[in-house]
Amino acid sequence: MRDLSFHEKSAIGTLIALWFIGIFYFHSVWDLWQAGQLHPASMTGLATGLTILLVIVLIGYHIVIAATARPQQEDERDRMVAWRAGNIGGVVLGVAVIGIVVQVLLGGVFGQTFAESPMLIANALIAAVFVATVVELILTLVFYRRGI
Amino acid sequence: MGSNLTNRVRALRDAHDRMTQQALADAVGVSRQTIIAIESGRYSPSLEVALKIARTFGEPVESIFSLGDDAA
Repeated sequence: MRDLSFHEKSAIGTLIALWFIGIFYFHSVWDLWQAGQLHPASMTGLATGLTILLVIVLIGYHIVIAATARPQQEDERDRMVAWRAGNIGGVVLGVAVIGIVVQVLLGGVFGQTFAESPMLIANALIAAVFVATVVELILTLVFYRRGI
Repeated sequence: MGSNLTNRVRALRDAHDRMTQQALADAVGVSRQTIIAIESGRYSPSLEVALKIARTFGEPVESIFSLGDDAA
């Protein structure tokens, strides 16, 4: 961990926290959907609770790494990595959102259920943001380790 | 991925009283991890950083950085 910059440590912690909380969220949403309980109230409560949990975990983690590592300004390499990973993450998000729109308009793997359920559409959009963010964080770590 | 530049930064640090990566990073205004990435060829610095490194060692920039496919 000593040779990792603050930004790398931040990306690792964020990726791990986001992954586990995201998987728990989507697993819970799947169970609610299967049980026919995927209503706005249950989904809002679940999403709000897990978002607060994620924020608390990330604040605590960043306080720890800031206290144990030499504070450093973002330099040109950090900005280059963030820009390139963010660009690709943005493309992933765009493709996913267009895919969801096509699903809504044309039906498809989810059939008409998807287009008729705002809860499913909302969760598909949340999943798109989740996947794009995970891709961005993974690419951030790849670019830091393998070079850009 | 990675850089097509080769460089003598590590050798020049050693030649300058074994200057630490942190000392060079502070002189140039980047993180120690960026110096590590430059030395290992994983990152090509901007012209500004390359010139700052050259100024720190008192050498022309072309004597520190060269293209990897240079025959000479």
